[in-house]
Amino acid sequence: MSTDGTLLELKSISKSFGAVEVLRRVNLAVRDGEFMTVLGPSGSGKTTILRMIGGFAAPSSGDILLDARSILGMPINRRPFNTVFQDYALFPHMTVAQNVGYGLTVRGVPRAEVRRQVAEAIELVQLGELAGRLPAQLSGGQRQRVALARAMICQPRLILLDEPLAALDVELRKQMRLFLKNIQREIKTTFLFVTHDQEEAIAMADRICVINYGRILQLGTPHEVYYRPNSEFVARFFGDNNLIEGRLVDGDGAKRRIETPIGTLVCAIDGQPDVASAENGRRAFAVIRPESVAFNRANAAENTATGIIAAVSFGGATTVTEVRIDGADHALGMRVMTPSRVEGAALAPGERVSLAWSAAECRLVLA
Amino acid sequence: MSAGEGAAAGWSGDTLPPATAEARLWRPAIAVLAYGLPLAFIVVPLVAFLAYSFFSVEGGQMRFDLTLLNYRRFFTDEIFLPVFWRTGLLCLEVAALAIGFGYPVAYLLTTLEGRKRYVLAILLVIPLLMSYVIKIYAIRSILGGNGFLNKALLAIGLIDQPLTFFVFNLNAVLLALTALLIPFAILPIFLSLERIPRSLLDASADLGASGAQTFARVILPLSLPGVVAAATFVFVLAIGDFLTPQMVGGNSGFTFGRIIYSQFGTAFNWPFGAALSVILAAVVMAVIAFGALFGGRRSKSP
Repeated sequence: MSTDGTLLELKSISKSFGAVEVLRRVNLAVRDGEFMTVLGPSGSGKTTILRMIGGFAAPSSGDILLDARSILGMPINRRPFNTVFQDYALFPHMTVAQNVGYGLTVRGVPRAEVRRQVAEAIELVQLGELAGRLPAQLSGGQRQRVALARAMICQPRLILLDEPLAALDVELRKQMRLFLKNIQREIKTTFLFVTHDQEEAIAMADRICVINYGRILQLGTPHEVYYRPNSEFVARFFGDNNLIEGRLVDGDGAKRRIETPIGTLVCAIDGQPDVASAENGRRAFAVIRPESVAFNRANAAENTATGIIAAVSFGGATTVTEVRIDGADHALGMRVMTPSRVEGAALAPGERVSLAWSAAECRLVLA
Repeated sequence: MSAGEGAAAGWSGDTLPPATAEARLWRPAIAVLAYGLPLAFIVVPLVAFLAYSFFSVEGGQMRFDLTLLNYRRFFTDEIFLPVFWRTGLLCLEVAALAIGFGYPVAYLLTTLEGRKRYVLAILLVIPLLMSYVIKIYAIRSILGGNGFLNKALLAIGLIDQPLTFFVFNLNAVLLALTALLIPFAILPIFLSLERIPRSLLDASADLGASGAQTFARVILPLSLPGVVAAATFVFVLAIGDFLTPQMVGGNSGFTFGRIIYSQFGTAFNWPFGAALSVILAAVVMAVIAFGALFGGRRSKSP
């Protein structure tokens, strides 16, 4: 481990398949012990990153460093990483115990020692009574845990997880998120988790690396990436953000105004030199999270708008209200998310409301 | 989740969507064809053969009283059982050789890509399209006393007399059958190798296995159903063959297939030939059933 806690470093990694450039000069440092999630839509290049770290593919250019030493020449079976594959890739002709112990067996670990460690690993993933079963006799969630135990048993420096929850149904996926996170804390191993599901990423990661078109767009904690997107793509990718397009006008370094079809909005600038220095008239988006907007409290905030409620949808804990904003030349809608109340929606479609949100909760990204 | 599944199963049931009037009219006709054709062309001849095996021939005349004489003759005469046994062993050897040569080829085929794979696959299939007799003549011209093999060995000075151990005897039958049947070994093995998901090989390497370990612990066990199918195919085809032993076997290369053939030809004893055929068919079916049992159990897990 190097002194700054970096375990693995991708240095200007590019990868092309023929004329298609899948990754473009990607730089990424994974810290020892962290749960890092690589998040991107399908085709963004995220799985390619994983495969190159695992050794299944070689980068076209760039370098991969482990403890500050290049591992490009290291064959797959010598890399101290293990992978949880998307389809789990359990050996169908081996029992759970044989699957889990595979990594030790091929290393020539004595049989008794394999048995002891397998029992331990199976206990850790709570599969004790299933050790003698074949993969075909297991449910999806159980297979997933076998795959995890198999990857952990050689005590790799890094566990690579390739969309391991994609094949599970929603409830199970939520349980497995917690489970994975807890296991990771328990065994104190670095996890590199690839997914296209932003909810999953937020729920588990210490840091999220958002990637699209083979480029890293943003790297930060879930809170940062969620509340402080730095690009239109990230802002749209994280769910139901309201994006209102407009042109930048004057600002004072801490705040900047943007002219939009619903009026001039004041937005805070928070660690965004690109937005602070962009020339006037530059196209940009005001990004407003639906839960940051309040109803009918016009005098409390910098930004206000009025409109007519188009739809109210009850979603359990929260209710989402669609408001058609006045003054826009086309029907511009804003989503407002509020905690649901026993009395039910105080608002009904057709009703006129005013909306308000502070500058701090209005972020700018360049178009 | 389980409640949802139960509901879904109850809803889908196992009834087909209601048929249109036209389809309902056609269905019996199709059923008659589907069951009738195999019945007429496969089951009826087989039953006829079975019936024949209980008849007998006396002075060139068929006698239609039922008798077990033919079967008794097979088990008591000192010629037939040893030949039957030797033929079975020969065909096992053929199967073993065909798999021994076929497995590496099938494996090579799975590792090739694009045009190379296509060309090799075509090369393997071409012999299947050629006439069996032509292939046997080709093999005769290689294996004969003055054949290509002997001439080549003489020419490079490895031997100074033509070798005889593969000329018109049981060894010649073994080599010829192996050469002829290898494609039937390669194809099932190739298919089972092809079905092994790449991710399993990745997983094996990822967990630290070397190439040889991955082969021994993952590829070979998972391709066993294909090997069993290949062995079954080759054995069944070899044991039923009478043409190859007839043409390359000479006098010493006598096999069970030739005996059966001679009963229908020179001996003109159809009932006895039918009885021998029934015995052979029973063995073949037993082998197929055994192969299906073993191969089927192996391939059940996904």
